[in-house]
This record gives sequence, structure tokens and C-alpha cells, in this order.
Amino acid sequence: MNGPLIVQSDKTLLLEVDHEQADACRRAIAPFAELERAPEHIHTYRVTPLGLWNARAAGHDAEQVVDALVEFSRYPVPHALLVDVAETMARYGRLTLSKHPTHGLVLTTTDRPVLEEILRSRKVQPLVGARIDPDTVAVHPSERGQIKQTLLKLGWPAEDLAGYVDGEAHRIDLDENGWALRPYQKQAVQGFWHGGSGVVVLPCGAGKTLVGAGAMAQAKATTLILVTNTVSARQWKHELVKRTSLTEDEVGEYSGTRKEIRPVTIATYQVLTTKRKGIYPHLELFDSRDWGLIVYDEVHLLPAPVFKFTADLQARRRLGLTATLVREDGRESDVFSLIGPKRFDAPWKEIEAQGYIAPADCVEVRVNLTDSERLAYATAETEEKYRYCATTATKRKVTEALVRKFAGQQILVIGQYIDQLDELGEHLDAPVIKGETSNAQREKLFDAFRNGEISVLVVSKVANFSIDLPEATVAIQVSGTFGSRQEEAQRLGRVLRPKADGHQAHFYSVVARDTIDQDFAAHRQRFLAEQGYAYRIVDADELLRDVDPDLSGA
Amino acid sequence: MVRMGTGELDREAHVPASGEGKGGAAAPRTLAEALRARGDEGLAALLRARPDLLVPVPGDLTQLATRAGTRASVVRALERLDRFVLQTAEALAVAPDPAPYPVLLALMAGDEGDPDVEAALPRAVGVLREQALVWGDDDRLRLVRTARELLAPSPQHPSPTGLGPTVAEATAGMSPTRLQEIIAAAGLPTTHDPVSAVAALTELFTDRERMGALLDTAPMEALGVLDRLVWGPPYGEVTANPTPPVRWLRDRGLLLPATARTVVLPREAALHLRAGRAHRTPEPVPPAVTPAHEYRPQVVDSTAAGQAYTALATIEELAKEWNEGGPAVLRAGGLSVRDLRRTAVALDVTEPVAAFWLEVAYGAGLIAPDGAAEERYAPTPEYDEWLALPAAERWTRLAGAWLTATRTPGLVGAQDAKGRTLAALGPDLDRGAAPEVRHRVLTLLAGLPAGASPDPDALLARLRWERPLRGGAPDKDAPGTDLRARLASWTLTEAELLGVTGRGALSAHGRALLPGAPAPGTDHPVAGQGNPEAAAHAALPADPEAFNGRRPAHSGVAPHAGAAALLAPLLPEPVDHVLLQADLTAVAPGPLKRPLADMLAVLADVESKGGATVYRFTPASVRRALDAGQAAADLHAFLAAHSRTPVPQPLTYLIDDVARRHGHLRVGAASAYVRCDDDAVLGEILADKRSDPLRLRRLAPTVLAAQADPATLLEGLRSMGFAPAAESAEGDVLITRAHAYRTPPRTAPAPVPDGPPSPGATLLGAAVKAIRAGDLAATVVRRDEPGRDGTSRLVDGELPRTSAAETLATVQAAAMTGSAVWIGYVNAEGAASQRVIAPVRVEGGFVTAYDHTADEVRTYPLHRITGVAEVAEDQL
Repeated sequence: MNGPLIVQSDKTLLLEVDHEQADACRRAIAPFAELERAPEHIHTYRVTPLGLWNARAAGHDAEQVVDALVEFSRYPVPHALLVDVAETMARYGRLTLSKHPTHGLVLTTTDRPVLEEILRSRKVQPLVGARIDPDTVAVHPSERGQIKQTLLKLGWPAEDLAGYVDGEAHRIDLDENGWALRPYQKQAVQGFWHGGSGVVVLPCGAGKTLVGAGAMAQAKATTLILVTNTVSARQWKHELVKRTSLTEDEVGEYSGTRKEIRPVTIATYQVLTTKRKGIYPHLELFDSRDWGLIVYDEVHLLPAPVFKFTADLQARRRLGLTATLVREDGRESDVFSLIGPKRFDAPWKEIEAQGYIAPADCVEVRVNLTDSERLAYATAETEEKYRYCATTATKRKVTEALVRKFAGQQILVIGQYIDQLDELGEHLDAPVIKGETSNAQREKLFDAFRNGEISVLVVSKVANFSIDLPEATVAIQVSGTFGSRQEEAQRLGRVLRPKADGHQAHFYSVVARDTIDQDFAAHRQRFLAEQGYAYRIVDADELLRDVDPDLSGA
Repeated sequence: MVRMGTGELDREAHVPASGEGKGGAAAPRTLAEALRARGDEGLAALLRARPDLLVPVPGDLTQLATRAGTRASVVRALERLDRFVLQTAEALAVAPDPAPYPVLLALMAGDEGDPDVEAALPRAVGVLREQALVWGDDDRLRLVRTARELLAPSPQHPSPTGLGPTVAEATAGMSPTRLQEIIAAAGLPTTHDPVSAVAALTELFTDRERMGALLDTAPMEALGVLDRLVWGPPYGEVTANPTPPVRWLRDRGLLLPATARTVVLPREAALHLRAGRAHRTPEPVPPAVTPAHEYRPQVVDSTAAGQAYTALATIEELAKEWNEGGPAVLRAGGLSVRDLRRTAVALDVTEPVAAFWLEVAYGAGLIAPDGAAEERYAPTPEYDEWLALPAAERWTRLAGAWLTATRTPGLVGAQDAKGRTLAALGPDLDRGAAPEVRHRVLTLLAGLPAGASPDPDALLARLRWERPLRGGAPDKDAPGTDLRARLASWTLTEAELLGVTGRGALSAHGRALLPGAPAPGTDHPVAGQGNPEAAAHAALPADPEAFNGRRPAHSGVAPHAGAAALLAPLLPEPVDHVLLQADLTAVAPGPLKRPLADMLAVLADVESKGGATVYRFTPASVRRALDAGQAAADLHAFLAAHSRTPVPQPLTYLIDDVARRHGHLRVGAASAYVRCDDDAVLGEILADKRSDPLRLRRLAPTVLAAQADPATLLEGLRSMGFAPAAESAEGDVLITRAHAYRTPPRTAPAPVPDGPPSPGATLLGAAVKAIRAGDLAATVVRRDEPGRDGTSRLVDGELPRTSAAETLATVQAAAMTGSAVWIGYVNAEGAASQRVIAPVRVEGGFVTAYDHTADEVRTYPLHRITGVAEVAEDQL
């Protein structure tokens, strides 16, 4: 009775990391429990119905789950919880989706009352066809995703045995010349391939593109890759040509500017969701070829129309890639039900420990508003308040001091408000990349930054994702999109690419004290704090004194 | 069947007028005689099994016998019989009266015999005899008349045996001509009178061979008709012009007319067709309670202990929730549905479970209405005492109260007969059968091997077997589930919730709650077959003193100390440290010691509960701690002292940040002012449109005055995002603290069992002695009674009368011979009584004598003795 695990009545599992059995326990509970928080001493896992069903789908049974809980638990496991686990897991597999030789896609049951129950649901009725026999009902093939999602919500998840279409074959090999997939990348590819479809969660900078490439090499079929923006699309293309047997001509870009459809096509979410006269003209891209694999980059940003369309693509293999599967809109479960369950998840600190991402020092710098700013802040309209405190002039001073402190290193200054960024660019004498900057200009600046021609770059949220800037070592965040947790993580991710000399990355978040900026910052930091990134807090005055004694007290 | 006359009851109960048949040699002629022939232990067993006979203590055995024959008492006794004993009683009710044992055995076992029945029948007869439902020797077994009336078949109350009236009963009132026709048709010679005709027909029906021969001649359809009636109900409807097979049967008396339109299959014929069996399926052996799962006993104990711990935590949480005054009491009593729902949400359980915890706390006297004009629920003072107990004892208090409670939380939310919803903590939740069912279920669990959980259906089948008549009315909402079935299933869930059982199996500490529970794995069908006394013991709740956890608590003896001792080592050891993490959470890896837990509960919000507790620090929670009078330095010191890990920097900053702003603004109560050393802040406030309703005015650079009262002012400033502190007249910061709210002292609700409690050994002994003595006084046989034939029984209240000289002489003579005399005595209050005394000495106008009636030596003034008579020696 001295296990590393404490089972809570709200179905969270607390794992003491320093315990000698912690690793064994982690392996035992990983198949069914979601890692929710991973701070330094106690990791929190959560047992959810979805997690339990995924475990069932992966071949684990209730007995194993109960054994794992009972074996490692320090205190007696509440019986009600064990019963609930068994009952939840028993719900999986009562319904199966499969291919019928004559009727096409069918839903069969081993438990007739369940079928009766779900057929009575108004949400299921439009998705199914004729009753073939008492235990079988036909399903419209186009509703495969929809019905899976609906059944999941009804609490009777269907086991999908209908398989996947192979798609149009296309030879893709990894070109492992002077590099190789890292062990966790291989695991991720294997995990995905065995599961058929699903989401791989890896920290920023841990090489998600290569997981995509690895999956493509497994599928050896035409692939559609969906990314967030054009710059990211170019990076994917670059990386694929470099790392695989694919050539420049085999990879097409489908964006605002170019509309190429090739065996491997990289499209942006933006172009897919462009709406003209009430329709989405570019969604037919999905049908333009017999795709064997669809890759969703930064799946946490998946826009709603793509969600809907993805539901119709259930016969194709789908791979979702993300670093931060937290959505402030709470639609994580839609991602899981439409793309597929989480197939691989690595805590950030674990990858850091393996040396594949740079260790980072996260610092929150607290600045004081001046008296006149405080008055302005107090009287501001609610919707303007954040802007007032986030763009305080003191932040500029701190940013300048930090840039001076890290002079010689590659520094990114990231912010939300264009005025603030322009002003900073002016003072720091650095180029600014914002929404209106053309793609060509962006790439030029990024290249210059990569080559070291520019050492300071001021960027707006356009550079939040998928911009590969390996040599950036310092990020200074002056303002953000309110309390977005994933944005904070993504911004940290900009500096996490392992450095050539292995030195530490620095992430500074400049926050105005005693304002909602501070409240938002606390919320933003939660994801990273839960991943084990402990923020240090530094007073602006202190920092200014350290960097430049003349500025102190200014 | 011989119908007993109306005088039968009297004869049954009363003492015979003569002294014949004294001693054990002759067969008793009445129930009273049979009782008199019993030993004290036998009487004690009767009173233990039927405690209602003791209220009030009967004066003598005649009274006892009369009372044992009353309808209410007999019904009560029958309800408490197990199925086989009941079946035996039912068989006796259709047997001739009196019935010899072999006849009864034939009825129970059938013609072919049944070894199980043969083995079990002596026990059944023993139980019936012990409970004074049957009396008489084995060759003349008599069912008490009331029981016979209750169990014998009649057209209004069909017997569970499915048997109809006898030939004699069914033919009563039939014309003699018709009778002769019948016996002629049955192939019997005609007789002179109806009585012998009936006898002949009865003889034919009871003769297996001749009856078989008769039935061989019956048409197939007629046998089909008989088949339909044989297992009951034995009545069939006929038309005015019946079908040939029915006519065939009717002609031969195999069907006898019951009313104009119905016929009945006479009992003797039915018994022939049934091969002599009164019951289709006699159930001599109780259905075994089969284990559904077996777990390691350690797993069961630790699971149960974990749940026991949860139980304590839940009750504490409930009391904490209600600490400052709980929800209002409904006018009709109880908790409103909305308050129940709110409580369920607060406890994070479902509503039925919340109702259960409420009832447990209420039953243990930990919460109660406060009795104020606007009545609300609140923890009782006893709660505070309870809280101070060690955890294991706290649990036994809850479990003890639950075991004996007649309140049934399972009913909460259901509707009563008038369609009103039954409220938690409200009236009408008492069900008398609940403690008994609860105790039986747990005792049956105790009979399983350690670590085995029962199959609920088997458990229920067993309960049904043990008390076939105590099922209660089926629930109209859920047909097929009677009250007992629901009580049993509630018992199982509740026991699991309380931690009496773990994973469905009885835990070691749960077992210790049941004094006299069978050892694991000894599921005696009915504790000790063939030993009726032991059987009666097992069927009753154990010694109520030991069974009830609450009563002895007041006497200073810890109840269920054994259970507490077993449980204590299994409960998680309280820890005195937490782990602080940079994500502003603290994890207590086990239950926290109380002062630490209380402090943390103020300083941080609870995020997750269970074996461990996860706390989250937020600005609001830190502010709460500061409001409670803690200084930032105290908080830092507290965290540093109790954290196993270094205090993370963000947490230090959080506390400092909040502390810095805490109390920054000061608001005066006397004149409603705002003062602040920072005049910019005041400027800020004044500039803020939202301060308009407060009507603030700057008095000095650092002071604002407000027209609003301080409370509104505080609210207003807080809503503007400031953290003002209230100030007293002396300039100190006023701190509002949570005030604990308690009811006046309350007693816990007493259980309302239906029927008197099972008497204790002392009471039983005293009662038997008193009845014996009273009986002796009532039935002594006196010699030389003038005007009587020497041995007459004295009528109640008639005192012997002798002259003073006669009295003195007789008493003196008795003192010399050492013999007993019977006296009439008037005490100081003028109450007359009869006593049997053995005078030791006579002096100074007083007789010192051993009083048989009171069983002690007493002294009587001679002038109070109304008269004296000698007593026949063999009476003593």
C-alpha cells in the first residue's frame, strides 16, 4: 500500500513522479488515462470515457485497467469508480460499423436494446437507412463520421471495422541520409499507423513535420496536407523534398496564390474556408483525387467548416498533428471523434530531457503602469482595458533592455497590437512582420533572420505557428490574444528548436502589474506550467537595474 | 375437520379445574398446561421469540396462553416464521385436529417421502411449539385455534396449499338423498344416515388403492378437469348444464357443489391426486446464499476502509457546508427538493446518495433542525463532539446509527399514498422492517466466506424464505419489487457507501458491528438445524443493547470498539505536509491533519478530492486568507513549514501581490469614508463613473467621504476592482470571520421499530419468574377450603378469609412443619393480593416467611392477612 498513484473521486489520477514505481505506473495507466498536467512533482491524469474507449479499441480490457489502478494505488480505489470503469468500457463494441457485401456500410449490434435505443434518437435517424435485420441497420456511407460522432455523444461508441480506402498509390520513401527519425517520432508513426487514424501530440520544435513524412512513407499513397498558412506550406514542401524521395514537382501548393494539385498537395485552411456566394468552392479539393492520407497540421486550429467536411472523409486515413491540444472553445472532443483518438502524446519535459528540444527559461516580467496610465486604465471601457495595459510604455523600455541584454543572439519580439509592434520596431530598429506583410516579404525576412543577417525580428500573431526559425533563442512577448493558452505554448515553441550549441532558450513575457494583463497572463501560462515550465517572476525595475544601472528608477 | 366450539379458546387457555395431569406425565389438555409443563428456559425462549407477549408482563401462564392465542399476536408470530415452518403450520391447518406427527409428515413429505423434509420437520415442529403456535405431544399436535383459522382454507381466504374443504365440510347441508346417490355412483353401498355416508366417502377418497381404481374408470377429460384443480385454486365454475366429464366427477363426489355456480375439489381427493402432499414444493432447506465474486479479504477490507473514510469526509463536508446555517426546514418537515439538489451538487454526489448521507448524519444526531422560528437545519453540538473522536470511532457512530435506524433514505423522492413527495429528513420515512432486513442481510453476508460478495437474487430468495409473510406491499411504480426487496437492495448499496462492505463483501470491521454474527463460511441454513432455540435466536435481531451503537455511547462505553479497532489501522494516516508546485497547486498526498487542512481550505480552493486533495491558489483564495486575519508573512511561513518541496516563486509572488493590494484602501464605518495614502487611487475612484452611486467626495488628498453606508461602499469599491478593507472606529482593520452556527442541543431521532424490542436476558429472567410466581398463586391447590370440595381453584380477586385465631394457628403450624400456606394479604395501600408463603417464624404480630410469589423472605403483619389456607404440597 505505498504505490505512486492516488485515485481521486473525480476520476483524476495523481502520479508522484519521484516515486520509484512511477515509470511502471505511467506505462500502465497511459493507455487509458490522459495526461492533464505535468508539473514538477505530481502529474495529473484523467480517466475519461473517451480514454477508456480508446483503450478498448487498442485491445485493453476493463480488467487490465482495474488491475493497473488497484496495483499502483496508494489508497483503496473507490469501488464506484471501478464499477464505472467496467461499465463504461462495456459500452464499447456493442455497436460496430462494418462493410456488408451487399448493403455497403452497416451498423450491427450484439445487444439489441442498444440498437433500439440509439435508433430512437432523433440525431441518429437521418444518418441510417433501412433495417436489414433485427441487429443490423444500413448506414449512408457519407455519414460514417457523423454517426460515429453522434454515437459517441450518446455514449455508445461504435467500433469502426469498415477499414480505410488505400487511395491512389504513390511511392514515397524517407530519405534518411545523414539523419534518422528519432525514437519518439517512430513510435508516433507506428502508433498512428496501427490505430488507422488519429492525433499525434508533440511539443513545438520536436519535429512534427517528420512524423507527417514518416506517415506518408508508410501510406505510400497520394496525400493531402492541410496547414495554417502559406509560409508554413512552403516550409512543409521544403522539408518534404529534403527528407523524402519526393521531388519538387510531386508536391503541389494549393493556396491563395497557387492552385496546384499534385500527388502530394499542401493546402491552407484559409483557402479551404474561403466562402463565395454561400458555398465553399475549394472544398472540392478533398474529392479531386483519391487521397490515401490526409494530414492536418496544427489540428487545434481546425476551422469549423473543415470539421464538418472531415466528417465525410472517414474512409480515408487521417493524421492530426499538434503541440497543444487545448482549444479555448472546448472542441477538443470533436477533434478526437473526427480525426481520431490521440495516438501519441509526449510530455514536453520528457522530450526536453532527451535533448530534442531546447531547455527554456520562462520569465514573467512585471512592469508598473505610470500614474497617468493607471488613471487611463481605470476609466477605460471594458473592451479597451486590455489594450491600455498591454501596450504600456514601460513595456517598451523593458523590451529594449532585454534586447540589449541578449545582444548578439537571435531575438523575436512577439505582440498582438500593430501600433505597439510598429513602435517597438522603430525603437529597436528591427523589421516588423504583420498581417499586411506580403508572403514574399515575409519569407525574405525570415530567411535573413535564419541566416543571421537580422538579429531582431518583431512579429505579430502571424508568426505564431509553424514558422521554423531554428536559431531564435530569445522570445519576448509583449502582448497576446487575451488568455489563449495554446498561443503562449506556440510562442514558446518558436525558441525551442534545439540550438546548434545546445544552449538554453529564453522566453520573456512582459506583463503589466495589477491589471487584467496579469490575469490573462496567469491563464496563458497555465498550459506551460502544467507541462512543467515553471515561470520565474521578475520585477521590471530589478531587470532594468541589472541590465543598465542608469535606467533604474526611470 | 372438527370445528372448535366457541368455548374452545377458553378451554385452550385456561387452567384445568382439577389437579389431575399435574407433572409431565400426562398429555397437556390446554396450551396453558403445555406452557406450565415447560422449563423456565422454554418460557424464556417463547418470550424472546414473541416479545409482544411481554407487554405488559402477563400475570400468570393462563394470561400468557390467552395472549398468545390472540389474533394480533398470532399474526405477528406467523409473519416471523420461515417458509418451511410456515408450510408446516399450513399443513397442520389442513390436517385433522389434533394430528399425530406421522400424519403431518405424510402431508409434508408426500406418499413417497422426502429425506430433506423428514430431516427438517422436527425442527419446524419444534419452532412452532416453542412459539406456542403448536402444542401437544407428537401424537396429538394441535395448532393454536387462531392460527388454524388464519391458515385453514375457506372460500374467502384460499389456503397457500391450494386445498379445498374436506368432504364433510363440503357436503354439510347437502340433502341425504343426493349423498346416497353420490356414494352409490362412487360404487359404495348405501348407508343409513348422512354421517356414515360422508365417512364412507371420506374413507374411499383417502384409500389410495380404491381411489386409484375409481379414477382409472374416469374419462380422460375428467382427469384433465381434476388436473386443473388439483394444485389450487380448488374451485371451478360450472354452467347449469355441465359437460359430461364434470358431470361424471360431480356424480361421484369428486367435485362437490360449493355455491350454485361453483364446484370444489374436496381436500381428500386433492390430496390423493397430489400423492398426499399438502404443498407442491415443500422447501425444507433454505436457499443458499451463493457468492457472486470472491475477492481477497484484504482488498475488501481496504476498499471498505477507503469508503468508510469517504463517508467521514462527506459528513464533515456536509456539516461544513451547513456550518453557518443550513437550508430551511419545510413546514411539513424535511428538506426541499431544491435544497437536496443543492446539497447533492455541493457533495458532488447524486441526489439519492445525498439523501442517504443526510439521513445518516441526521440519524446519528449530527444535524438537526435548530428549532428557531424560521427553522433551519444545522449541525448539532454533538457534531462537534463527534468531530473530536478518532476517525474509526466516528465511523462506528455512523454505522451504529445506520444499523438500527428505521428511517429509509431510499424512499426519498418517492410518493406516499396521498401523492406527496417524501422529503429527505422529512416525516413518513420510518419503516419498521428496515433494521431487521438490514441486520439479516448483513448476517447473511457474514455467513459467506470472507471476501465473498453475494448474488443479490440468491440473497433475496433467502430473505423471502426466512420471512415469507414479511414482504410488505409491492411498490406500485415498480411491480414485483416489494418493500423488503427494496430494503435489501438499499441495504447493499448503503453498506457499500458507508464502507461496511467493500466490493459487495462484508469487511472485517463490518463483521465486528454484528455481535454474534456467524463465522465466515458458515452459512447455516437456520443457525443450527434441529435446534429450535438456536434457530429462534438467529432469526431475531441480536441483543439490542449491543446492536444499538448510540445508547451505550452516552454511558461512556465506546460501542463497537471491536469494529473501530479493526478499522483504525486501515484508515489512511493523516499527513502533515503538502507538495507545492509551480502551477500554483498544492497536493496533499493523503488526508491532512485537521489544523493544516482547515488553514489550507481557507488559503486555497479545493480542486479535487479523494485519497489526496488538490488545492489551487488563486488571488481570491489568498485574499480570503488575508481577510481571515493572516498576514502575508504568516502565509509564507505556513507554506514553508508544511511543504515538502521548495515554495515555488510564482506562489510567493501571488501572495505578495495580493497582500500588497489587500487593505490598501481603508473604509471608515462611522462616517463612511475612504482613505488612502495614495491620492492617485482616490483620483482613480473619483474619476470612475461607477463610483457615482456611492456619492464620493474628496475630503483631503488621501481621504474620500461617502454618503453610502459602509457596506454598500465596500461592495461598490470591490466591484470597481479595488480591495478595500473595513476600518473600525479606532482605525483597526475589521475582519469578518465565518461564524459557526449550531442548533440547540438535539437528541437524535429514536428508531421506530414495529413491535416491542427483543427483551434482554435480565428482563426475560425476571418476566419468567414473575409469570411463574403469579401462576403459582393462581393455581395453588388448597386443602380444607371450607365450602368447597377441597381442590377448587380460586377465582381472581377472591381472598381467603379465616378468623384471626385460625390464621395465627395455621401460620404457626406451617412455621413448625415448614410447609407453605396461601394467604390473602392487604398491603399498606389497601391493595389486596394473594401470596404463597412458607412461614419461618411468627412473633410480635408479624410473620416472617419465604414468599414464593416474590421469591424472597418478607415480613407480614398478621393483622393485614385476611385469611390463610393450606397448600397442596406437590404444588411447590
